[in-house]
Amino acid sequence: MTKVKYPQKRNYRQRAHSNPLSDHSFDYPVSPDVMDWTKLYPRFKPENEVKFCDIGCGYGGLLVTLSPMFPETYMVGFEIRVKVSDYVNDRFLALRQDNEVYHNAGVIRTNAMKYLPNFFRKGQLEKMFILYPDPHFKKCKHKWRIVSEGLLAEYAYVLKVGGLVYTVSDVKEVHDWMVEHFTNFPLFERYDPPAEDKAAQVLIGSTEEGKKVLRNKGQSWTAIFKRVEDPYSKLRWDVDF
Amino acid sequence: MSVLHYDKHTNSFLLGVGANLYQLSDNRAKLLVKCGEVPETTEKEEPIKEGEKAPRAEGPAYITGVATCEGRVAVISNNKVVETFDRDFQRVASTVAIKRATSVQITDKTVVISDKAGDAYSYSTDLTDRKYLLGHVSVVMDMILTPDLNFLITCDRDEKIRISHFPNCYNIHSYLLGHQEYVLKILLLSPNLLLSVGGDQKLILWDLSTSQPVQTLPSPQEDYITISYSPPYILACNSRHVTVYKLTDTTLTQTSQLVTDHDIIDVASSDSRVALLTREPKLEIYQFSEGVMSGKCEVEGEIDLSQFKDSVLPEKKKVVRTAGFAEYFERKRKRIEEENLKEESKQAHINLQEKSKETHLKG
Repeated sequence: MTKVKYPQKRNYRQRAHSNPLSDHSFDYPVSPDVMDWTKLYPRFKPENEVKFCDIGCGYGGLLVTLSPMFPETYMVGFEIRVKVSDYVNDRFLALRQDNEVYHNAGVIRTNAMKYLPNFFRKGQLEKMFILYPDPHFKKCKHKWRIVSEGLLAEYAYVLKVGGLVYTVSDVKEVHDWMVEHFTNFPLFERYDPPAEDKAAQVLIGSTEEGKKVLRNKGQSWTAIFKRVEDPYSKLRWDVDF
Repeated sequence: MSVLHYDKHTNSFLLGVGANLYQLSDNRAKLLVKCGEVPETTEKEEPIKEGEKAPRAEGPAYITGVATCEGRVAVISNNKVVETFDRDFQRVASTVAIKRATSVQITDKTVVISDKAGDAYSYSTDLTDRKYLLGHVSVVMDMILTPDLNFLITCDRDEKIRISHFPNCYNIHSYLLGHQEYVLKILLLSPNLLLSVGGDQKLILWDLSTSQPVQTLPSPQEDYITISYSPPYILACNSRHVTVYKLTDTTLTQTSQLVTDHDIIDVASSDSRVALLTREPKLEIYQFSEGVMSGKCEVEGEIDLSQFKDSVLPEKKKVVRTAGFAEYFERKRKRIEEENLKEESKQAHINLQEKSKETHLKG
């Protein structure tokens, strides 16, 4: 069998910005019940569940770092750009060949803004990562931003109560925007992780973006948020059909 | 867009033609009021954010949706105007929405609209206090505020039906996932049953306690245009067919089908009547009994149907761009092939060298 080579970035160059509002051709399941995760993870069993999601995983740096740290946990990266997600795919194929680990991490080429509920059931995720999101500086592009009041409802839906969202940015304005949106959202609270939170420690150093910021002696800001119970339903008993 | 509405509070139909709102009782049409008049800007209204301008009306004014509650009628128009009337059809309040509204619901305490940007807002009854409720990433095609006011149900172009708590709509209760194209219209048949039709030409009956479809029916003829409900009957319209189903428990069975001469624009139904607007343009009223439409008659009264205007919504069906991905994968395949060939010939060269070394040593 021909050895799978480690991918080289120069073969996977793609423009950094993609319009998440337009209709690209994606494969996504009609609902989480019909999603076949074994296509992504060779050892996935019916009782397993994906617990971590890296939104906009880029070239896969975070997943490569987290995978051996949480070997029992299945984690997935969502990446909208074709070539970049292809790179991550090839990267994991090569890594799995050479190592016993890395079988628990993979990438899906999809649009996180539209299809999170197609992949994940309510309260399925334990951790979500939003690292160095595209700033989309222009006001007309704000609706492309991955953090918005509307989308926070979806993130709260796929995260379990007590689950965590980890955010990082090297653009202060983006960090402030995320902090403002998350803290004003009734289902999230700012969270100070304890020293044992391994994921919190690798936020800056593990991604390509983060390493670039360190090289250029730039600054990164992190903020972590916890998914909390709806304060509104405490006023009246949670209503069901 | 929905221009025909059955008003159960007065047992009559309300019809929007152009900017004119008509009432149909028995078979007579009466002009009620002209809608879509742009309100004067008041200081009471807060702009969206600081430094941003208040929304401005734009485009021609024609009615795109009607909703009723006991004491009020709400109308949304193409030019972004949202207005409410009392039962004498005197204008009570009006405002300009941020984006063109796609659906409207009204209760005696609130007015809720969804818009073409995918957002939903609630207003106080005087249409001043606007609150952001939720946002889809694509246009919201239809919306229901449940009668118990506990849930807001919205459906979009990305095949999703979302059930959010109300008024805490940031808290999503569940999703109904099963359509494979835009979800055009939804109807709440009972607290536990929802009906939907989509661009995938499916009619789906959902059990809300399990979020699962209980019955799926294919369209008898291409795309759905709209659906209507008069318990226990459901009317599903394609462009030339009206198919009537009876709901028994959680099963739909077809009771009748009517073929029309012209394309259907909208339908509304009561216990005993069905109003049908076609593209001729013509307005017809049918007797409706035991799930069968019969006794078609024309509507009397001064009603100018030529003013009718179609709502302009963004393209519903997905326009998929593959942007040369096939090219990329082809190039990648070739590149890997070349690399493998190089590897092989390099290896073969090394083998040859070693072999010649051996023979040289031997020799």
